[in-house]
Amino acid sequence: MIAESTREERRRNSRKAEIVAPRPGFRLPKPVRRLQRQAPMYALQAVSALSVRLRELAGRDVIDLDRIMEVVQFIYQQRELAHRGPNYAVDDFGFDPQFTESFLGVFKALYRDYWRVETTGVEHVPATGRALLVANHAGVLPWDGTMIKTAVFAEHSHPRHIRALVASQFMGMPVMSWFLRRTGQAVGHPDDTRRLLERDELVLVFPEGTRGTGKGFKDRYRLRRFGRGGFVSTAIRAQAPIIPISVVGSEEIYPMLGDLSPLARLFGLPYFPVTPFWPWLGPLGMIPLPSKWRIQFHPPVEVAHLPAKAAEDQHLVMALADDVRDTIQRGVYDNLKLRRGVFL
Amino acid sequence: MTPFTPHRVLLTGVSNPLGAEVARRLAPQVPMLFGCDVADPVSALEEMDFVHADTRLSVIGKLVRQLHIDTVVHLAVMVDPAHDDRSVHETDVIGTMNVLVGCAAPSSPVRRLIVKSGQAIYGAGPNDPSFFSEDMTNWDRIATGVTRDLLEMEQLVSEFALRNELCGVTVLRLGLRVSEDTSLARYLSLPIVPTFTGFDPRLQLLHEDDAADAVVRAVVGDHAGVFNVAGDGVVLLSQAIGIMGGTAAPVLPPYGRWVSRLALRMIAGVDMPAHLADIISFGSVMDCSRLESAFGWRPVYSSREAMDALALGKQAELIEAPSPPQEYELQVYLQQRRRRQHQLTASRN
Repeated sequence: MIAESTREERRRNSRKAEIVAPRPGFRLPKPVRRLQRQAPMYALQAVSALSVRLRELAGRDVIDLDRIMEVVQFIYQQRELAHRGPNYAVDDFGFDPQFTESFLGVFKALYRDYWRVETTGVEHVPATGRALLVANHAGVLPWDGTMIKTAVFAEHSHPRHIRALVASQFMGMPVMSWFLRRTGQAVGHPDDTRRLLERDELVLVFPEGTRGTGKGFKDRYRLRRFGRGGFVSTAIRAQAPIIPISVVGSEEIYPMLGDLSPLARLFGLPYFPVTPFWPWLGPLGMIPLPSKWRIQFHPPVEVAHLPAKAAEDQHLVMALADDVRDTIQRGVYDNLKLRRGVFL
Repeated sequence: MTPFTPHRVLLTGVSNPLGAEVARRLAPQVPMLFGCDVADPVSALEEMDFVHADTRLSVIGKLVRQLHIDTVVHLAVMVDPAHDDRSVHETDVIGTMNVLVGCAAPSSPVRRLIVKSGQAIYGAGPNDPSFFSEDMTNWDRIATGVTRDLLEMEQLVSEFALRNELCGVTVLRLGLRVSEDTSLARYLSLPIVPTFTGFDPRLQLLHEDDAADAVVRAVVGDHAGVFNVAGDGVVLLSQAIGIMGGTAAPVLPPYGRWVSRLALRMIAGVDMPAHLADIISFGSVMDCSRLESAFGWRPVYSSREAMDALALGKQAELIEAPSPPQEYELQVYLQQRRRRQHQLTASRN
């Protein structure tokens, strides 16, 4: 389409806009419609006035306006998402920042109020540039990954998105396949890790994989085998610092008592958990328990001084992987001591 | 050694739209251009000599020797068939084998061979990495349909390249194209698009112009090897459906794609090829950095722009006023189309 150049041309080629007839049928009177449109604003004003009164009466904050604003923001973000149509861009991995950030309100509420996460050492995460975050994995569903992402977004001075790597079998599951990609995850394939690190992203890996999430409650806080150390060789090749992370509290959200492996095989799942509530209570059993969480980011392990050839050195790689695993295990024990109780 | 420049070029499969476009662009750049296909060309081209020849027969070798062809551009490869049937295997594997045998004859004049291949060679599955590099063809995959045929074809081509060091072989793995007649374009153009429940994969597309440009650059330049060719960026399936103005209907069950394909064929009379079913559930994206570094060129249209171009073409069929040299081609084209429509109505009655 070529824009007309002169005013005369525009006038000659323009057509009068069609007069759109009002929709037939019943319409509410105009003042009512205006009220409908402005109702959310009035409600917010009323709530804020009420909170001021209550604070004067009680001498402390009774209604937290920030929380209410977060709920309103969440509703409006969801509405905006529903109205944007196909006009948005995703990156090559299928990551959609707007979609992801619309859920942050919910995750921040879980982070602060439900699991009361205490995060230490978040300053070890670099504000720019690449890094490989390595964490222990527990809980039947990967809430620990969600909380690590929320921690960096909520607590860090430069909020950044973390790209986690997930097991490829989740990419074959309905809903999971697109939801994980849309929120920035990639397949746990060495090639994907390399590409993400080369784009200077923060990449989160769980070397334990489903061995970590699917372990029983009696084995809680005992780290499983750390794969074959593949994450270390990838970090050496990309010259990315490795940041170990210890997460405490994720083991108690679903105390896994047993594993029905025939059912798991039937549904194509890595395991089929049995907890005190699942599957007895149906969907209610999927509600995680409100345990007390602590997340510790450890100082980075620098690998930049190692030559690229060191990635082939299986001895060095396994030694580094064991170091990282020890750091995480020690951090888990330290944080367990700092925690007063499971739900406190 | 002086660099080789193509003089006598043979183009197989000139009657498909890509072949016609490549012929049109190559004609002013090479001294002698020959085209062959089983069907009549869609547009007449004065600079090209057209031969009725079937790549599945050994006549192709005789052509190469008689015409002293030094460059063969093998475009008679079905990379996006509408149905999974025997003819795909015949065309892709047997046809390519014949072309290779024709080029490999002792004292063969052929110095450059360009073979069209497709993104379907990688297949698509949940265990695959997010990007396919050229060396990631999965030989262990239990391949079906066109994936298996393309794997077999490229194996033949790589064996040929090993045995004939004098001949530079370029394989172009073209991305999914959404011009009017590809299976993906037909699928996305439906008013209500059936999708697999709970899947919204990334699609990477290639515009028809860029596909033709890549082939022409491979002929004129000297780039031996295997190259992925596709547009920048990705488009989600739901986005693509939205751009086309359709509605996504998540009615196909997430498991058992084979069963839902069978059901579609039995109930709706729609034949969804296996590679398309895989792509609209898992998607496949290629890494084209090797193309960029070797050719010094990247596709002009991004995936999103290719999708927009298809949507625009659907809204209005633009036929520009033909300039005098194109008038004859347009007349031929319109006549062909009338004949085809006539045949369609005749076959229905």
